[in-house]
Amino acid sequence: MKRTNTVRGLALSKLRYNKSRTMLTGIAIMLTTMLLMAIGTVGTAALDMNRQMYALADYHARFGGLTPEQVNVLSNHIQVEALSTTEVFADIENGKMNGVLSCQETLKNEQPADGGSSLSVELAFGHYPEAEDEICSSPAFFRRVGAEPVIGGKVTLSFRVDGKGEILTREFTISGLEPDVEISDQIDDSRLMWTGRISKALLDRYKADGLYEPEPVATLRVYGEEELTFDEMTDRINAVAADIGLDEGRVNINKEYLFTATNPGTETMAVMAVIGLIVIFFSSLVIYSIYYVGVITDVQEIGKLKALGASGRQIARLFYWQGAIVSAFAVPVGLLLGFLLPYLLFPLALWAYSSGSAISSYSRDATEAIIGQLHMFSLPVLLIATAASLITVAVSLQKPIRMAKKVSPVEAIRYQENTNDRKSRKGHTEVKVSTLTLANLTRNRKRTAVTILTMGLSCVLFICVSAVLCSVSAEDLARRNIPRGDFRIALDYALYNDKEYPENNLENLVQQEYFSEAFLSRLSSIEGVESVERAPGKIISSTDMESPMYEDYENHLPLSYFTRDDVAELNACLEQGSIDYDRMTANNEIVCTHVYSFNEYGLSIGDVLPITLHDGSREIPLTVTLGALTEPDANFTYLVMTEDTWNSLGLTCDPTTSIYLHVDNAHYDSVKEALTEIVAENEHFTLYAMDVELAIGHSSIDLMKNPLYLLLILIAVIGFINLINTMITSIVTRKKELGILQALGLSDKQLVRMLSGEGLVFTAGTLLISLTLGNAAGYLLFLWAKQEHIMSISRYHYPLWETIGLAVVLISGQLIITLFIRKKMERESLIDRIRNQE
Amino acid sequence: MKNHTDIILKTEDLCKYYGTGDNQVKAVDHVNLEIRQGEFVSIVGKSGSGKSTLLHMLGGLDNPTSGKVFIDGENIASFKEEKLSKIRRRKIGFIFQAYNLIPSLNVWENIVLPLGLDGKPIDESFINDIVKTLGLSDRVKHLPNTLSGGQQQRCAIARAIASKPSIILADEPTGNLDTRTGDETMALLKASAQKYGQTLVVITHNEEVAQMAERTIILADGRILSSGESEVDSDEEN
Repeated sequence: MKRTNTVRGLALSKLRYNKSRTMLTGIAIMLTTMLLMAIGTVGTAALDMNRQMYALADYHARFGGLTPEQVNVLSNHIQVEALSTTEVFADIENGKMNGVLSCQETLKNEQPADGGSSLSVELAFGHYPEAEDEICSSPAFFRRVGAEPVIGGKVTLSFRVDGKGEILTREFTISGLEPDVEISDQIDDSRLMWTGRISKALLDRYKADGLYEPEPVATLRVYGEEELTFDEMTDRINAVAADIGLDEGRVNINKEYLFTATNPGTETMAVMAVIGLIVIFFSSLVIYSIYYVGVITDVQEIGKLKALGASGRQIARLFYWQGAIVSAFAVPVGLLLGFLLPYLLFPLALWAYSSGSAISSYSRDATEAIIGQLHMFSLPVLLIATAASLITVAVSLQKPIRMAKKVSPVEAIRYQENTNDRKSRKGHTEVKVSTLTLANLTRNRKRTAVTILTMGLSCVLFICVSAVLCSVSAEDLARRNIPRGDFRIALDYALYNDKEYPENNLENLVQQEYFSEAFLSRLSSIEGVESVERAPGKIISSTDMESPMYEDYENHLPLSYFTRDDVAELNACLEQGSIDYDRMTANNEIVCTHVYSFNEYGLSIGDVLPITLHDGSREIPLTVTLGALTEPDANFTYLVMTEDTWNSLGLTCDPTTSIYLHVDNAHYDSVKEALTEIVAENEHFTLYAMDVELAIGHSSIDLMKNPLYLLLILIAVIGFINLINTMITSIVTRKKELGILQALGLSDKQLVRMLSGEGLVFTAGTLLISLTLGNAAGYLLFLWAKQEHIMSISRYHYPLWETIGLAVVLISGQLIITLFIRKKMERESLIDRIRNQE
Repeated sequence: MKNHTDIILKTEDLCKYYGTGDNQVKAVDHVNLEIRQGEFVSIVGKSGSGKSTLLHMLGGLDNPTSGKVFIDGENIASFKEEKLSKIRRRKIGFIFQAYNLIPSLNVWENIVLPLGLDGKPIDESFINDIVKTLGLSDRVKHLPNTLSGGQQQRCAIARAIASKPSIILADEPTGNLDTRTGDETMALLKASAQKYGQTLVVITHNEEVAQMAERTIILADGRILSSGESEVDSDEEN
């Protein structure tokens, strides 16, 4: 008992004596705890936020293309907890409005009372349509079609059943109103999707008349959400689909919701554990390096203690006590800050999202509600962070303890931090400041390496996360609709073979020469338009052979081409076959970019298809071979051939379906205004504007991106403080030596030069590690995120600004610290620095 | 008395106090002394008498509480750090009791360090001469921690005289050495100081070392008990 007190007392007095080192260790431990706690807290908050967000759409899966028999089996299936069906009945014909009439029916709901929000939408007023002429929707819908949104009001709508057949017109009575949605005027009307709900009775009428063939989509929940894991739920859903004989391709599992609602699978746990381990690893390096340097400067004292009879175990206890006392202060502070920082910043990050959100005020209200009841505290996170920090301290102490135990009292007296086993040094005839810098760095190569590694690893984490965040890009999403330039004017043509209104078919539209040279020069003459370019054209193909693929599109599939330069892009999403430009040209081979329906259509590589191409009214027969199959890519249409094959077709009609406009930034708004007017003149034109697409892109990713940026800032701040800590340690522990150098005539300027020289080497090393390891890890993380379809990531963006920022911060950080320490040292007289260790 | 212009080191009312009120310690208390060019002066006194503090202030390593220190007629207390560091590397050579060699540099590099800091070319034959005189010829590539105490102190002496400073300040240079090595070291120090016409100020506890000096200043409680001035003239026959 008494002995313990002696060691503890000694530990305390050592901590007091080595004040600056105690501070540095304390800060390092505090930061480690803070980082772990902050990551855990942000994770808890993000998970809770997702849980609340996705609870708004709490279905488990959607089954598409069902028959009424399959729906019937589903509603009686023992595993199905809740089921509703949606039938898209008709497309609304109202100028450029995108709208459908659909019918939703809840067939089963055995969910607990507090659930089931998404399978049945609450109406604000009135009731769901029951009679044939009844309709309900949001007030905005009725305003859009020019009707007054009141219960009992009349609205006349034109529509085409299934988007085909004749245009029908009918008067409806408003039976119910959904909660109102405020539509932002930033979003172009053509980019909105409207839905009016009609009654089952109306559907049955048309069905009886043979005008409508139902193909309902089922939205369902299965039992077991509380008990099963994500993987087990997925299996169960697929089993239900198999029971009704549904192809897996038609099953759409609501992964986002299931992910948050079920226990995370082993894979998620593994990812979290790996991130945690990386944090622990790099923070233990920081703590380790501080202790390591500490022991070196302590060796003489340890030697004296041993000479006085302290045993190895007592020396070890001395270290453990020091660690325990510092941790007792540092860990709670770290836990508190690690919780408070995200607690205060997380809602701010969400707030930034909701106020910048372009879609509607609805999401803002939802965000507000979620911020209000976000659960951020998690006891397991607290316990894990505490345990991990303490273990880190204990592990970091092992090496210094082993070193201290090894020190013999005799050698300790004349011990100087040295070059391990080196006895001599080749050296230089002349000694310059740079000689000193290099001598310092090479004196203990291991310590130099540990310092660089420590600093490097915190930057690796930063670069890695930024690589992913940079690739989460609203512009990428926008570029799916506007691949080039600032605007796209697209020709609207029938996606299916429109038999009733053949003028809507592409082969007929091209004969109108909407994209004539005259039209293009009219666009070019608008002030601010820099250039107008045609997108690769499209041509309609059909076949006489029996082909489920063609049948699905009413024997009417668009075909386009790819250039040699596009081969790489196509190869990136290649699934089957191979893409060889010359071979494909020679053999009239085509690529199908629709992997999802591949199996369903019974296609295989090498299939030969006799097709007919429709160049206006001229028909071009051609036999093509299916050469390759890729995932869908926004830049390519359903079928593509090589540019050479395309050119050999000798088309007489201009096949342009889209044009891109590059405009001068200063005139963007006026050009947009002019284009809107021009596009309004032609009902077949749709205008895509970059600002609108960007706003849509932002609204779909910012909610995820902002909390992640918060995490990135946390990592950066903590990493930077760690870095400062490491650098201060490396200077403070050499205070005496620097004092001697100054006593020998090292001037202030030379001191700064020497220290910044060292700093430069550290910076270069750190950058090297973070740029190699960080970029590699960042790219891997990007690939993973892309594969998992996280935040619509599709293209890798190099985190250039983040990298430049990192380099600037590192270099300026080094300089500031050097100057700061020099200032601090000035307060002490030279002789005090030479005499004292600390 | 020698000519006034011969005085290379001078203090006026030099004081260094630590603490305040009852706890105040007067480490150096109103010290006035003059040391002439080429003189060998020893400073003796009990432990805590203020010897080291005085020496550090003479060399610009410590800031006085009040009073002035003149080197070559210039008051160094008014100097900025930049100018002070130049004075230190050009005019003063320090020898510490704890040697204070730079552990990452070898013997040669330690010796030529002050020259390098001053950006001066190295007169290799001169340095080799010192190295030979001090018996370090076969140790120039060695790192300090592989040397014995005597060798380390000789290396420190070589460093102090390498830049041909006009003043050498030594704080118990033989304190860590055995008698024989200590005697040898002092003899070398004195010989090289004479050879290069340097002023030598040595703090010591050692009677014998003190007696080697031309003049001995005795300090007690931060004040000069005897400046040894009266003996200077009679000693001049040496």
